[in-house]
Amino acid sequence: MPNVKLYTAPACVYCKMTKDFLEKNKIGYAEYNVAEDEKALDEMIKKSRQMGVPVIDIDGEIFIGFDRMGLMRALNIGQ
Amino acid sequence: MYDLIIIGGGPGGVAAGIYGARKKIKTLLITDSFGGQSMTSADIENWIGTKSISGFELAKALEEHLRTQEDIEIIDDDLVMVVVKNTTNFLVKTKNNKSFETKYLLLASGSRRKKLGIPGEKELDGKGVAYCATCDAPVFRNKTVAVAGGGNAGLEAVIDLFPYASKIYLLEYTAELKGDLLTQEKIRNNPKVEIITMAETTEILGGEFVTGLIYKDRRSGELKELKLDGVFVEIGAIPNSDFVKDLVELNKLGEIVVDPKTQKTSCPGIWAVGDVTDVLYKQNNISAGDAVKAVLNIDEHLNKK
Repeated sequence: MPNVKLYTAPACVYCKMTKDFLEKNKIGYAEYNVAEDEKALDEMIKKSRQMGVPVIDIDGEIFIGFDRMGLMRALNIGQ
Repeated sequence: MYDLIIIGGGPGGVAAGIYGARKKIKTLLITDSFGGQSMTSADIENWIGTKSISGFELAKALEEHLRTQEDIEIIDDDLVMVVVKNTTNFLVKTKNNKSFETKYLLLASGSRRKKLGIPGEKELDGKGVAYCATCDAPVFRNKTVAVAGGGNAGLEAVIDLFPYASKIYLLEYTAELKGDLLTQEKIRNNPKVEIITMAETTEILGGEFVTGLIYKDRRSGELKELKLDGVFVEIGAIPNSDFVKDLVELNKLGEIVVDPKTQKTSCPGIWAVGDVTDVLYKQNNISAGDAVKAVLNIDEHLNKK
């Protein structure tokens, strides 16, 4: 199983879309709410070198926003 | 060959799709996503029949209602690039290089966020320049930010930033804030906020991340600099009408001019609804209602022949 870290904020719709997508495809993930977890926020900015949510870290590969095609490729999900 | 192609998956497009299907019109709906612009809203409290719903849930509900219709074809991952008129029909060409022919067209393509179009904006997009305060406000915890735009969207961005940012500059181009008076009052009463009117934002500064902003004080003509970590751009919307600009009449804002009784455009065979049109009020409920009006009118035209 890939190691998936998901950095989110509570009211962010693209975060919800990403979560829906992962759950639909039965991919386990660890979620970090950057609105409450300051350490996770710093980590997210350092990793992605930008300041928007969501950020998805799949075994070290970083995706910014809900990038359906990118996630499908990185997680080997067929269409 | 279709009788009707609907372009857009917001409340207008979906309402049109449902009515088109129920009228047994041979319909294709093309969109790149469902829900329209309010998809990123945390909470919508004016969608009639629903006390409170998030933009995300509304988008899901719209899509689900549309998909329960048997008599409709849906493409949900493509974008219409151009519409061409041939002798009797219209040819719709998409980003994925597909083309479809139709007798009639209903445009419900909405609008998109306007950008400042100044140096630094594109380069620092995502690196402090942000367009969705609802989404990204928590990232700016203990940061100094500016919101460009003193209309309702700008005011709401300031409210979204209240719990997180340490200092918020609100920049408005004209002499006074626009937008809801109650929200204005909330903002004026918050010591974190500094309102700057007659301010024209001219440049966003930064290297790896945003470090500041330059604005022109339109009273004195003087250029002034603010040191900050983020800029939220909330200066309104521009209609998604480019793909039909040679076919239908647009007003000077780029909105499609429609007959408010039928939603007909200046080009016979093309109807338009919602935020892409010159409708006076841009509202989810109005887009849906106008779409129903348009489809009923289209149905009459189809039955005449």
